[in-house]
Amino acid sequence: MSTTEILFWFLSALALVSATMVLISKNPVHSILWLIIVFFAISGHYVLLNAQFLAIVNLIVYAGAIMVLFLFVVMLMNLNSDSEPQKNSRFKVAGTIAGGCLMLIMIDVIRDAGEVQNAKALVKVGNIGLIKNLGMALFKDYVIPFEISSVLFLSAMVGAVVIGKKD
Amino acid sequence: MNTIILSAIFGVVMMFSGIFIHNRSAYKNISSAALLLLLVFNIFESQGSSLFNINTTNFLHFNKFGLLFNSICIFSTLIYVMLSGREIEKAGNNTAEAHALIFFVLCGIGIVTSYTNLLMLFIGIEILSIPLYILTGSDKKNLKGNEAALKYFLMGSFSTGIMLMGIAMLYGSGGTFMLENVVKNGIVSYLSALGMVLIFIALCFKVSAAPFHFWTPDVYDGAPAVITSFMATVVKVAGFAAFIRLIEGRLGSMGSQTDRLIAIVIILTLAFGNLTAVFQQSVKRMLAYSSIAQAGFMLFSLFAVNDAAKEGLLLYAAAYSLATIGIFAVLAKMDDMTLEGFNGLSKSQPLIAALLAIFLLSLAGIPLTAGFFAKFYMLSAVVKTGKYLGLVIIGVLFAAVSAYYYFKVIQAMYFKDGNVVLAPVTARFKYLLLFVAALIVVLGVYPNALLSFLYF
Repeated sequence: MSTTEILFWFLSALALVSATMVLISKNPVHSILWLIIVFFAISGHYVLLNAQFLAIVNLIVYAGAIMVLFLFVVMLMNLNSDSEPQKNSRFKVAGTIAGGCLMLIMIDVIRDAGEVQNAKALVKVGNIGLIKNLGMALFKDYVIPFEISSVLFLSAMVGAVVIGKKD
Repeated sequence: MNTIILSAIFGVVMMFSGIFIHNRSAYKNISSAALLLLLVFNIFESQGSSLFNINTTNFLHFNKFGLLFNSICIFSTLIYVMLSGREIEKAGNNTAEAHALIFFVLCGIGIVTSYTNLLMLFIGIEILSIPLYILTGSDKKNLKGNEAALKYFLMGSFSTGIMLMGIAMLYGSGGTFMLENVVKNGIVSYLSALGMVLIFIALCFKVSAAPFHFWTPDVYDGAPAVITSFMATVVKVAGFAAFIRLIEGRLGSMGSQTDRLIAIVIILTLAFGNLTAVFQQSVKRMLAYSSIAQAGFMLFSLFAVNDAAKEGLLLYAAAYSLATIGIFAVLAKMDDMTLEGFNGLSKSQPLIAALLAIFLLSLAGIPLTAGFFAKFYMLSAVVKTGKYLGLVIIGVLFAAVSAYYYFKVIQAMYFKDGNVVLAPVTARFKYLLLFVAALIVVLGVYPNALLSFLYF
């Protein structure tokens, strides 16, 4: 096994284990810390795919800014396993069955999909993830969705102010 | 392009007018004027003269259908703002911002009626939904409204996540975001079928089709009545515009079972909506369920996807939006939103009672109203496909069921005695309501008055 392969398997295992821990840890603060590890593992994958800019942005924005906000909210609301409302066990069973069915179908579809048979990830080659090419794609090919998404952010901002303002 | 850019600009204008103008009843007039301008420019664009010349290939394509749909949505919003402007002022303290958010929703509608790229679908649907989450919770003192807003936000984000996953799957299968079928050797790949089904689920959620409708009654009932009026009409029909474009462009990616899937969703939606609406005591909640039932009828257009279906969808959008906006405009002025609250309305307000009766008859699909032709076009579109004719019979049966609960309101207005507590109505309000009712009757006699725009 080459170094890249070892790294790939290590990062994948790390991401899966931490993602599971996010779901099963009782303490919400621990959940968030595990989620940060997931983001780090995924950023590692981006680096393997030669998308350094995306990896850094993922770390700064998600692992940095958004997760800190999450932590603040959780800590301010003082959530812990005691204050968690008891869930109905019937819902738990129903949720497990429904979620399990979806997972089964997704795994089966992706395993059998013709597009991914014998396809290999472009590790260390391909340079679309580099900042220059990303900029070209964003401001030339995808300039219309890029500009229009400003309306989306504006409306979200107006909403945040409207909701947060004291009456 | 006119609608998208101008409505974003007008949204910003409304925000600024909130700074400079402190007379809160002025916002309604500014907003109405801006909507009128927007309507005029949109009609100009459908006649082939756009203000902006932007190369939008690969992302947006403006055709007659989408632009006429925009016109219907903008016109309905105009009527809505003129009828219910005062109630928007009462719904929260941030009236100017509420109007700005309504303009942003229209911007989203401009996108979802003309997208050719799944990225634009995603952005459009989000621009459509996010202002609504805020508007739902605009009355901050109302606990039910807050609960509705949070519920709507959480469920909406969840469905957005499902949609994104579907888009990712479609991209993974064909390597393109465009609305075109990627079929190799005549076989639809599993990945693209799964992706389409996930997007289908997310859009079903947005238009509240069963079995993804559970949020609808709570949210529509909890939100202020004016906001429900906007959500249940303009935004919901815009969701269908997005839906029919997707199905038209990517139907082949979904596999051979698509017809069966859509048929099941239609039957479930019709059954849930109509059968639960029968048992409601609150008219507001009844209208929430009836909006699910009406969505079931609009889903027929997705099953058929032919010219008749598109004409029917346009007619349905106009008939349903206008009638529901009219009913909600009166409902928002009432204290008691249960059936008893309507007892004896015909004695104290004979004109309003008569107009309400016309709106309700249109929703039930009685001939001589627009609702009849809307349902007729939908059913005939399904007949033209020659598949699943049982669906048509089921549709007619449920239309008969729906007449029951609409007539209960008419019965309460005309054949029961009681005192109606109605906020003061101006003469202007009555004339406007009369105008809307006249439009519904005109469309019910001569539907081509609207549909001819599609071909000129």
